[in-house]
Amino acid sequence: MPEARPTEIMAAAGAREIRDGEVVVVGIGLPWVACVLAKRTHAPRLTFLLEIGVMNAEPKDTPVGVADPRNFYRATSWTSFRDVMGMSLQRGVVDVGFLGALEIDGFGNLNTTLLKDEFGNIRYFNGSAGGNDTASLAKRVIVIMRHNKRKLRHVLAHLTSPGFVGGRSRRELGLRGDGPHRLITDNAVIGFDPDTHAATLVSLHPIVRLEDVLENTGFPLHVPRDVPPTPLPNSEEIRLLRDEIDPDGIYLS
Amino acid sequence: MADKVKTVAEVVSTIPDGSHIALGGFAINRGCIAVAHELIRQQKKNLTLSQGVVGLDTDLLVGAGLVSRLIMGGGSLDRFGPVHCVNRARETRSVDAHDYSSLTICFRYLAGALGLSFIPVKSLLSSEVLERLEAGSAAKDVKRMKCPFTGEEYLLLRALNPDVSFVHVQIADHEGNSQIHGARWENEEQAKAGRRVIVITEELVPTEYIQRYPEQTIIPAHRVEAVIHQPFGAHPTAVFQCYDFDADHLRLYVNHSKRAETFPEYVKTYISGTKDHWEYLEKVGGLRRMNELKADRILGY
Repeated sequence: MPEARPTEIMAAAGAREIRDGEVVVVGIGLPWVACVLAKRTHAPRLTFLLEIGVMNAEPKDTPVGVADPRNFYRATSWTSFRDVMGMSLQRGVVDVGFLGALEIDGFGNLNTTLLKDEFGNIRYFNGSAGGNDTASLAKRVIVIMRHNKRKLRHVLAHLTSPGFVGGRSRRELGLRGDGPHRLITDNAVIGFDPDTHAATLVSLHPIVRLEDVLENTGFPLHVPRDVPPTPLPNSEEIRLLRDEIDPDGIYLS
Repeated sequence: MADKVKTVAEVVSTIPDGSHIALGGFAINRGCIAVAHELIRQQKKNLTLSQGVVGLDTDLLVGAGLVSRLIMGGGSLDRFGPVHCVNRARETRSVDAHDYSSLTICFRYLAGALGLSFIPVKSLLSSEVLERLEAGSAAKDVKRMKCPFTGEEYLLLRALNPDVSFVHVQIADHEGNSQIHGARWENEEQAKAGRRVIVITEELVPTEYIQRYPEQTIIPAHRVEAVIHQPFGAHPTAVFQCYDFDADHLRLYVNHSKRAETFPEYVKTYISGTKDHWEYLEKVGGLRRMNELKADRILGY
């Protein structure tokens, strides 16, 4: 069996968080790769929504962005923000919001807006787009991003999309969705404690050591007594990722 | 019925400095590029721009120094890079940027399009996005409130009614009946919120064609002031079922836009150095290049 790359472990771990028959709003990049993998394997009845107004497309070529017309091919509906983000997401029928981010903190809050250097200089990035809406309104939120201390932070440079802000419950925050459910990195799968909402290790990828993961995590991470290894992608998942979903390595390389 | 077909130069000449313009592009798709270029050629000043997810059209206008205020939900050029000119202008505080999200920009336009003065929404609560709006010049546009019926917490957004809304569409007739193929993000709300609505169309069709597919008409003639017929008017962004984005030109653009010193060279070569969009198209490869970008009939790109 070919050896899985870290991005492939992330994509497969992300795909396993999706249950067949669910409705998902998907961000571009690794979230897209993970959801396509889920749909091509165990979740063929997944309803796959893009914020711009595309439902259930079956791209033949890897899209370079959310509004790339490659994303429109074989869709079951072409519609709008109002429809997808309003009449599905805010309406409360979206099970999973699948997102990426520049930074995340230990309560699953996300930054996609700006970074600050050590002198306080600001560098702007993409902003919210549909990120805040998705994090505010989806029943559960899954975040996928690289694992390092600059990205998994105790204090964010900017809180773009709320998780459990300050450890408070979603109800206290005035938010409808149930909030962050999983953070999937190239080191581990992390969840959030149902009572304290604090980040808790769920599984560790077999390519890393626990002490390195803790060293690379900028927020306090609760480690339960037994932490299972994250299952590696099987050969069929690797084949789908490499040969069909992202053959040019736009997101996986 | 009225023939509303005008050139982009004619339309742009009627836009006063200081106007609020809403652009219909999203990242690298259906950007209002012919309009952005002409606004730059005519050196309009002090514009307010609004857009759901800002893309190449807005990046050009901000880079060329025409914009003093941005009302935006986010922005990028997808895998080609960030909107460097927009981000740089924010970092140097040469624009006043109001950050929202995709849904909240769409809802502000929706309220405007429905003739309402505000609309409630359930996102942006408990975020720094909202705190920053409340702390800045956008404070007058947002307000928190409890639902008078259920007591649930809401954010109220002031309606957004741009002075002029531009949307690039695949098909329109001479009267302005406009059809959009593929996803249409906030285009319908953005257009219908506009005090003036201008469409730029790839193809000008007889009304008889519109009457065959009336369910595809997103913007109806009675809301449209002018129709600009400009094939390849969104180049180098994509127009679904017409042409793909021009990856080579987008890379060339980003190579110029990533530094303030090199951006003017792009403007000089491709915009102020060309008299209109036809001359621009010749400069970026002409008929041969446009034919290479032409969409496959099955794939649509």
